[in-house]
Amino acid sequence: MQTLNYRFPAQKAASRAVHIGVVASGDLEILLEPPAVDDPPDSVVVRVRTSVNGFDTIWHDVLERFFTRTPLAGRWELNDFGATPGVVNLRLRQASEAAAAADGPI
Amino acid sequence: MTDTPLVAGLTWQELLVRRSFIELDALGRAAALLDPGSLRVLAGPFDRLESPWLVPQGITPQADDGTVIARGTVDGRPVVIASIEQGFQGGGTGEVSGAKISQALLLAAADSRAGTPTAAVILFETGGVRLQEANLGLNAVAEICSAVLDLRPLAPVIGIVAGTVGSFGGMSIAAGLCTWLIVTPQARIGLNGPAVIEQEGGIDEFDSSDHALIWAVDGGQQRYATGLADDLVPDDADLLRAAVIDAINAGVAEPGRHRSQRLDVLASRLATLDPATPLDPRDLRTLWGRHYEPVPAALPGSPASDHTGGQPPVTRGRTWLHALSGDLVPEPMIPSVLSATTNTARYLAVVPDPDNRFYRARQGQVGVTESLALAQAVRDLIEADKDAQHKRAIIAVVDLPSQAYGRYEEIAGLHQAMAASTDAYHAARIAGHPIVAVVVGTALSGGFLTHGLQANQILALDDPGVEIHAMHKAAAARITLRTVDQLDDLAKTIAPLSYRVQDWAKLGFCDGLLNVGNADAPTAHDVETVGTAIADAVQRARSGPVDLSNRLDSDAAVTTRHASRAVRDLLARQWNSEL
Repeated sequence: MQTLNYRFPAQKAASRAVHIGVVASGDLEILLEPPAVDDPPDSVVVRVRTSVNGFDTIWHDVLERFFTRTPLAGRWELNDFGATPGVVNLRLRQASEAAAAADGPI
Repeated sequence: MTDTPLVAGLTWQELLVRRSFIELDALGRAAALLDPGSLRVLAGPFDRLESPWLVPQGITPQADDGTVIARGTVDGRPVVIASIEQGFQGGGTGEVSGAKISQALLLAAADSRAGTPTAAVILFETGGVRLQEANLGLNAVAEICSAVLDLRPLAPVIGIVAGTVGSFGGMSIAAGLCTWLIVTPQARIGLNGPAVIEQEGGIDEFDSSDHALIWAVDGGQQRYATGLADDLVPDDADLLRAAVIDAINAGVAEPGRHRSQRLDVLASRLATLDPATPLDPRDLRTLWGRHYEPVPAALPGSPASDHTGGQPPVTRGRTWLHALSGDLVPEPMIPSVLSATTNTARYLAVVPDPDNRFYRARQGQVGVTESLALAQAVRDLIEADKDAQHKRAIIAVVDLPSQAYGRYEEIAGLHQAMAASTDAYHAARIAGHPIVAVVVGTALSGGFLTHGLQANQILALDDPGVEIHAMHKAAAARITLRTVDQLDDLAKTIAPLSYRVQDWAKLGFCDGLLNVGNADAPTAHDVETVGTAIADAVQRARSGPVDLSNRLDSDAAVTTRHASRAVRDLLARQWNSEL
């Protein structure tokens, strides 16, 4: 298992906590929480725990691309059990949409 | 298409609008059963009660440890649901996920006692004990079984096995204890999974690639058709909810009518089986039938072990039973289950029987007939002491290699037989009989769940030959994809993985580690040491709780089982909040 930490710039903050997915084979779970009081309100803070070691660069690229398009500030925790980049992207979108849904139509 | 098994009971129109239950995750399943809008998750992912044992082994944990506890109502009645996520670690029971289930059941029992009957629904999707948390998972299963039995007289405990993982391992004993058990055609229920039986007994014993065989033995339809499940429902969320509503409205079962209490049925059914004669599992549907009632006696030439009359093998179990009971001549319940009864206690041990007709149980494993005999021995004592103020103690002398890994055992429903002995030990404990387990040799896996782990007090000899674990080392290594050396290395830092009894003693449920000079051939001094320790344990059991709460309150538990204690405290805090 490898733990990876990333930080990306963001604009809007997630307004509610969201839990998506399962730590199942080829899948991952995401816990997204709005920035805490002492967190910078304009940063995406990501912690990835992945069962597959050595994919740091791919994780960075997948996450960077996603958060460039969806700059949603908050604490993102990803618990991964060998999800492919496509599945990771899908789960990230699910989480961001669910977090935005509470705000009403985008 | 309407008559194919997968869609039993559904027209094609119904099939098209059907909402699959199996395709839902653990939370989705709980939500599908509860009244809309009533669901409240306790100890959820943001409480981050993840397993403390997985990260040090390099395994990604899940924030809620793969078990959803949800409160809500079903048809207006208060219910708590424990839904196991089959995707995470195969639904394996770990320290945290197990504690979540047992503590939720205990809280439901407390509410029921206080005048608000609170039913429980357990969604079993599990491969059994999570081997990465071995001894803590095994104990968690014992605590779940005990909690099911605590709640069952007060409010119904409904089990659902929907699939696709099914229910295997010790958790199937809990399924066998439920008030009402609902299955789908996709469900499987067994004690030992097909792959484990093949690994332990070879491909002739069980070909785990033969799916038709697996479903013929373990499948939901088979278990329903042979009376080991109460309701067979297609994979449809609405139909399953309707089945749960019916089961909750039916309330608790009459005392003595639970499947795990019906030793008469179990005995009559087992008497019809002889592994020497080939049996098509489907024949059991006519031989036993759908109702869990006694079946006619076996035909002439009925199965009985063909005893060669040779000397029984000398094992620690036999030796210590003999020594501790003051050299009484033990009375065999069956050749593999010995009982010795003094004025103060009944001593029980499972021993090898080389002539056992269930050939997979010849080396002292706990199989179907051993489970029944243990249950009978315990129930007999409860009956004998029914009117006595001072209930005699039950001393489980434990030396068993495992439960029996066999095809015949699964056909016969080993999980249900083991539920009978688990139920009996629990009943004795609740009735006030002090139960003390003394581990003198190996105490592995389901065997220990059936004979030992329901005790008030657990003692073990501090001896290299004493081994307590969820599975023997070679198998545990294979299943967790490690070498035996890797497993040994990990066990140095991860206490529940260790095979050393000194490490097991640190987990919180050891009530005494006893030094003896010779564990194989005990000296008079050794026997006195152990006898005194048993007498002390009996006294502690008499003055202590009749439930298993001392396993969470011991000094060792405070250190080692801090995650279980955190689960207990958090669930208690959240149980009534927002109400």
